Amino acid sequence: MITFWRVFKSGFRNTFRHAWLSTAATAIMFVTLLILTFFAFSIYFVQTQLKDVQQKIDLTLFISDDAKDEQIKALQSKVLQSSGVTTVQFVSKADALKRLENSSEEGKKLAKSATEIGNPLPASLEVKLVKIDDIGNINKTIRGYSEGTIITETSYDSRDDNRKGVIENIIRISNAVTRVGGVLSAVFLIIALLIIFNTVRMAIFTRREEIEIMKLVGATKWFIRGPFIIEGSMYGVFGATIALLALVPISRVVGQFLVEKLNAGVAVDYFGANILLIVLAIYAIGVFIGAISSWLAISRHLKL
Amino acid sequence: MILLDRVTVIYPNKTVALSGASLHIQPKEFVTIVGASGAGKSTLIRLLIKEEEPTSGKIIVGSIDYDTIDKSNIPHLRRKIGVVFQDFKLLPNLTVYENVAFALEVSGVKTKEIKRAVPKILQLVGLSEKARHYPGEISGGEKQRTAIARALVRNPKILIADEPTGNLDPKNSWDIIELLLKINRFGTTVVLTTHNKDIVDALKKRVITISRGRVVKDEKVGKYTL
Repeated sequence: MITFWRVFKSGFRNTFRHAWLSTAATAIMFVTLLILTFFAFSIYFVQTQLKDVQQKIDLTLFISDDAKDEQIKALQSKVLQSSGVTTVQFVSKADALKRLENSSEEGKKLAKSATEIGNPLPASLEVKLVKIDDIGNINKTIRGYSEGTIITETSYDSRDDNRKGVIENIIRISNAVTRVGGVLSAVFLIIALLIIFNTVRMAIFTRREEIEIMKLVGATKWFIRGPFIIEGSMYGVFGATIALLALVPISRVVGQFLVEKLNAGVAVDYFGANILLIVLAIYAIGVFIGAISSWLAISRHLKL
Repeated sequence: MILLDRVTVIYPNKTVALSGASLHIQPKEFVTIVGASGAGKSTLIRLLIKEEEPTSGKIIVGSIDYDTIDKSNIPHLRRKIGVVFQDFKLLPNLTVYENVAFALEVSGVKTKEIKRAVPKILQLVGLSEKARHYPGEISGGEKQRTAIARALVRNPKILIADEPTGNLDPKNSWDIIELLLKINRFGTTVVLTTHNKDIVDALKKRVITISRGRVVKDEKVGKYTL
C-alpha cells in the first residue's frame, strides 16, 4: 500500500515535471476523446433517428368497414405469426378519429368535419417490423393470406417510389456514418496510442539514468514501471477533463440545433439522461488509452 | 562472504572480460581490487550485483547462489549489497536527504522508519548540514558521501565501491577512503576498486590484482602493481 502510494506520487510528479511532453500527449488525448465522443454520438443519433423514421413508416393495413371483428382478429393473429413481424396493433375507426383530433389544430378541424359525415376513417392494423428492409416482401405475404381479403389498402401500396428512396437513403447514410465514424475513431485511437507511446518512450529515454539508479538500489519492476503507467493514465485524465469542458458549450449549441432543426429530442434527451455514464466512459477510455500505450512503451523500451 | 569459482564472461562480440577468475572474500574483510582499464574489474562488479550473467562458473554471495536465484528476487538481492560508483549516480532532482531516503522507499520501508534512519546515516557520513541541498549544489566529495550514505542506509553486509575516488581530488579521496574504513570497522565487508596507487599502498590491506580477465596476484597486505 505504501509502495503503491509512492509509485502514484512519483507518476504524478513526473507528469508535471515533463510539462511539454505531457502537453503534447494531453492534447492528442483531448482530440481523440472529442472525436470518439462526437462519432459515438453521431452514430447513436443517426440510429435513433432511423428508428424513429422506421417506426413511422412501419406497415399499416387498412381494413374494410365491412369486416367483422372475428375476421380482423383472425388476420391480426395470422400477421403476428408471420416472420419479420414484432407487433400488430389494432386501431379502430374511433381510435383513428381520436388520433386525428389530437394530432394538431388542423387535425381537430378535420376530425370535426369527419364526425359530421360519419367518420370515414378506416380501422387499421399497425404492423411493426424487425427490419424495415423486409417491408416489400411482408406486404406481399400478408396480401396473399386468405384472411387478407378484408384489407382495402396498405401503407406500402400507397407509398410512391420517392418515399421508398428516402428510406433507403436514410439507411445508407446511417451505415455510412457508422462506418466512417468507426474508421475515423479507430484511426485517432491509433494515433493517440502512438503519440503517447512515443511520449513515454521519450520519458524513458530522458530518465534512463534515473531508471538505472532505481534498479541499482533494488527497486522492483513495478516500482519502476508504475510511475510511467500512472503518467500515461494522467494524460487520459487531463485529456478527458479538457474534452468534457469543451463538450459543455459544444453540446449546448449542437443540442439546441438538433432539437430545433431536426426535431431530435430523443437522442438529445438520452445524452442528458446518461450524462454521468458518458462522463465516466470518456474518463475510462482516456485512462485506458494512456495506460495501455505506456505499458507498451515500457515493455518495449525498458529492460528490467 | 563472496565466492567466485572459475568465472568466465565472454561478450557476444567474443571479447573475453573474465577468464576463469576465482576469488574468495571473507565477511568483514576490506579488499582492494586493482587492474588496468579493461582488465575486468567493472565486469566483476556487475556480476556481483547481477547486472550481468557469467558465461560459466559459479558465484555465491552470502548464502545466495546466483545460478538458482529467481529473477524476481534480483531487486531484493541488490538491496543487500550497497554499491558506490565513480559517477555517484545520484538522482539530480532529489535532495541529499531524498536520495538516501529513496533507497529505503523502494524497499517499502515505512516513512516513520525512513525519517529515523536517514538523519542517522547522514550524520555518519558527515552530511547533516547538506541534507536539503541538491546534488548540483554540493562538491564531488559530498556527492560521493551521499552515495555511500544511500548504499549504507539499508545496512548491507557488503559494500562495493567501484572507483569511488575516480572523480575526486586527493583530499576528498582520502576522506572517502577513511569513511570506507570506518564502515568496515563497523563490520561491513568492503570491496574497493581503484586506480589510485597512493591509496592502495597506504591502506595496507588485502589487494587482488586482475589482468586480462585473470586474478594474477592476491596478497594479504598488497601494493599497487600492474
